[in-house]
Amino acid sequence: MNGMRKFATPLLFLLGCSLMAPASEPEAPVTDRDRQHWSFRPPLRPKLPEGNSPSPIDRFIEARLATESLTLAPEADRRSLLRRVTFGLTGLPPTPDETRAFLSDSTPSAYDQVVERLLASPAYGERWAQHWLDVARFAESDGFEFDQERKEAWRYRDWVIRALNEDLPYNLFLQFQLAGDEVEPPDEDAHLATGFLMAGPDMTDINLAAERRHEFLNKMTQNVGVSFLGLTLGCAQCHAHKTDPISIQDFYRFRSFFAATVVDPKKSRQLPPRVQETRPDPPASFVMERGSFLRAGAPVRPAFLRILNPKDEQVSAPPGGATTSYRRSALARWLTRPGHPLTTRVIVNRLWLHHFGRALVATPNDFGRSGEEPSHPALLDWLATELPRRDWSLKSMHRLIVSSRSYRQASRGSGTAWQARIAHDPGNLLFSRASRKRLEGEAIRDSFLAVSGLLNRRAGGPGVRPPLPHEITTTIRKKNWVVSPDPSDHVRRSIYLFVRRNLRYPLFDVFDRPDTNASCPQRNKSTTPTQSLTLLNSEFSATIASSLAKRVASDRDPVATLHLLLFARLPTADERSIARDLLDGGGLADLALALLNSNEAIYLD
Amino acid sequence: MPPSLSRRHFLLHSGGGIGGLALAHLLSAGEAKAASGNHPFAPKPSHFPGRAKRVIYLFMHGGPSHMDLWDPKPDLQKHSGEPLPKSFGSVMTRRDVSRNPLLGPIKPFHRHGQSGLEISEFLPQLSALADDLCVVRSCHGDSVNHPQSVYQMNTGSILMGRPSLGSWVAYGLGSENQNMPAFVVLPDPGGGLKGGPPAWGNGFLPATYQGTTMRPGSNPILNLHPQAGTPPERQRRVLEAIRRFNGNHLAQRDFDDELEARVRSYELAFRMQSTAPGLVDISTESRATRELYGIDKNHTREFGTRCLLARRMLESGVRFVQVYSGGPSGWDAHKDVRKNHGHYCNATDKPVAGLLKDLKARGMLEDTLLIWGGEFGRMPMSEQGTGRDHNPWGYSVVMAGAGVKGGTAYGSTDAIGLRAEDKPVHVHDLHATWLHLLGINHEELTYLHNGREDRLTDVAGKVVTGILG
Repeated sequence: MNGMRKFATPLLFLLGCSLMAPASEPEAPVTDRDRQHWSFRPPLRPKLPEGNSPSPIDRFIEARLATESLTLAPEADRRSLLRRVTFGLTGLPPTPDETRAFLSDSTPSAYDQVVERLLASPAYGERWAQHWLDVARFAESDGFEFDQERKEAWRYRDWVIRALNEDLPYNLFLQFQLAGDEVEPPDEDAHLATGFLMAGPDMTDINLAAERRHEFLNKMTQNVGVSFLGLTLGCAQCHAHKTDPISIQDFYRFRSFFAATVVDPKKSRQLPPRVQETRPDPPASFVMERGSFLRAGAPVRPAFLRILNPKDEQVSAPPGGATTSYRRSALARWLTRPGHPLTTRVIVNRLWLHHFGRALVATPNDFGRSGEEPSHPALLDWLATELPRRDWSLKSMHRLIVSSRSYRQASRGSGTAWQARIAHDPGNLLFSRASRKRLEGEAIRDSFLAVSGLLNRRAGGPGVRPPLPHEITTTIRKKNWVVSPDPSDHVRRSIYLFVRRNLRYPLFDVFDRPDTNASCPQRNKSTTPTQSLTLLNSEFSATIASSLAKRVASDRDPVATLHLLLFARLPTADERSIARDLLDGGGLADLALALLNSNEAIYLD
Repeated sequence: MPPSLSRRHFLLHSGGGIGGLALAHLLSAGEAKAASGNHPFAPKPSHFPGRAKRVIYLFMHGGPSHMDLWDPKPDLQKHSGEPLPKSFGSVMTRRDVSRNPLLGPIKPFHRHGQSGLEISEFLPQLSALADDLCVVRSCHGDSVNHPQSVYQMNTGSILMGRPSLGSWVAYGLGSENQNMPAFVVLPDPGGGLKGGPPAWGNGFLPATYQGTTMRPGSNPILNLHPQAGTPPERQRRVLEAIRRFNGNHLAQRDFDDELEARVRSYELAFRMQSTAPGLVDISTESRATRELYGIDKNHTREFGTRCLLARRMLESGVRFVQVYSGGPSGWDAHKDVRKNHGHYCNATDKPVAGLLKDLKARGMLEDTLLIWGGEFGRMPMSEQGTGRDHNPWGYSVVMAGAGVKGGTAYGSTDAIGLRAEDKPVHVHDLHATWLHLLGINHEELTYLHNGREDRLTDVAGKVVTGILG
């Protein structure tokens, strides 16, 4: 703190009088009215609506549809369904064998068996880890000028994949990431999970250690807020939250849960990035007035957010002989106790989002008053209360969701009933049909590698750096992208590509991969000519197209095999004629390139 | 913001007076089509008529020295070699130079033009255009570090990952050229910008608005051309097949705006393929023009070429072009200002002056805003004898065109150029002013991100009305 004061005088002088120290902002009390906001009240188990559907999810969806005189759409055709659920759970396309097996299996349990196979595949964790890493703002470098590598950061990424594949219960998934070292001291794996807290950018090269620590802790606090609570705590780091009952004091009390966590950057780059706390008594914490690292105000102690703590429960002291403060584990336990208003609502909403393309709460990182109200409040609460009943098993929730008729609906159709859906539910806010989904950049790359037979399924380990176009490498610091020596690594799944904070991998960059500075709950979905240029002209596309052509060249019906590989279906007569026209003057690689660029290759019905 | 949220936000925004601006991204996809032809680069109306229709931003990477170029300091000359007087208090520096002796301006300044604006001998060509230049001498920012300051000058924040100025402008105004992105960046071929590509990133705005990097030569945009050896005829056939496949696909589905937009994105990509090479092909430019930019001379050819490309982009309707000068270290003259700035001024003075004259001759300067500046200035104290350390506390940024008052020096630093003193202009104020010139109210150009209506100027920014003509 003394070091900070040393700079305060000249800086204040320099900044002029407009920022001269204000008195502490008084803390407004939390009122009963504040507590009435839907997401601040614990979810109550709702009664199932009347109906015949065995799936509780369908009962809720149908009940809402009925108010608009709508019903669920018929089930999607089997190949669309297979493609949807395979990409949805694993980020990869069904193989022709899998397609044939499913299409020819008429037993009632055929679909359930597919779901079980997909959930048991390591590809499931590889797929869903990316959703979580977007939220965690994971990257393997510091950012800023030197963008130095964190050589062991991949261990956290691998932990997430492993945790999902092993179906680590969500309460532990959360607890380990905040406080694995305190919750499971003997379990090295649980320690790695705290890489979540260290995943963000870090200004290691800045002059002032105090400024760096301040920014890092504020971002960490902000990210815990949006990730687990779905609250934009960060808005309260300078002044009371504009719309939610969260004061600046609340923010810095919350931040003090992490007061002891910042580690030496030089060390952290070599070691797995995880929390290293070594003392039970962290340094004192203060309200930082106006969010400035130069203005320590009143001292604060860790405390749960007042709005979610009506009984004013205190944070317990560390157990005797503790070597850490046990503050983080206190927070983690509080977050995962039964009936917490936000924790389970927030995670089931994220699952729903990725399965349906639209979340029940359309602002998945903001359940506060400036966020959206849930479109289906009872369904959200039913799911939120169901998760603990299923021992916090995410796989079990996936099973529940993807086996519902709501999930299995068709995305297209015709006739009066279909027209009514479009007319009465134009934005598909009521889930009266399936929404078409575009693959993310990672899934596009993975599926192209898979269909061309190039995909290397080796899992885990340090991030891989495939070659980059010369034009890209000249815009970054030299040595910031040293190509991985083994070319067989270059064709591994996208989740294993090195994540440099200052340089998004070009293919992902054009397809809206989020910046890793802030948590991203739901990606943008833009459509740009640079995407088209990339898929049309890049060396990657050319390689995929020629491998694909080679793969099918000796087939009796290469056009059919291409369609089966890419779209899980056979070509129509019209498509055969387009293919014939193209093949007349060119080769199979041209046809492969055209099919890879077609809408069906990157959209799911 | 996912498009599905748009209904509520649209209502919010229209209530808040955002008007037609950025509407296309707040409406549902179908409505957006009606509003903008559903084209990502479609031009959009500004909040009010702006003086500038387009911007060219010459970014002098590394931090050019204001007291050696734009901000004459006779007192610094007088006290050269002495320590910083105690009256200046303590000062934060990057390399702990506060106790080093002061270093007088490296070259003399002279008055130029009718205005008598003082400019250093480092910049003879720009000096001749003094009456067109508006030097804001009282700029200041918040960090003594390069990447933080590069980010701040480009995005308003010292933290990485926020949308850049060019992205905000592209989001707000779109492009006048339907075959080209709204925001184009011409990086220094030496590479190594401190902080890297996030300087022209879209942050949380849709990827459409990120700076598209272009470079001179036959392959100006990444993946612009088919792989070597692909005859044009073959690509045309592939594109035709894609179009037919997509047509079939679309016909079997209800109207889907996104699928249709993607069909169009291939048409646009194809048009970019034919437009972009022509844009960077300067062989059609007259010899006189090439000489004007210094393309005929070795030391000015590289930067001159990019300045000329920038003019061609603007001419073709691109909204915002940023040209970087300086590779990994650039203008970062820690050791020897004379040598470093001698080199960079020599490489850029003539091209920048040529650009200005050219814009003027073509009648474009009226509604083109030209900006010249780095991420910060430099310290009056010396470093390693003849160099200078970073100085974000006071420095100069230069503007021309778009009705900005020429032949003007606005604001001032203290007697030695250490801190902005009279009429200080923060980076947020610069941004507010530039947006204002484009007809955009900086407080109303917003985008909902993590629960907050975020904007370029955060919660600050005042338009510097004193420089408006």
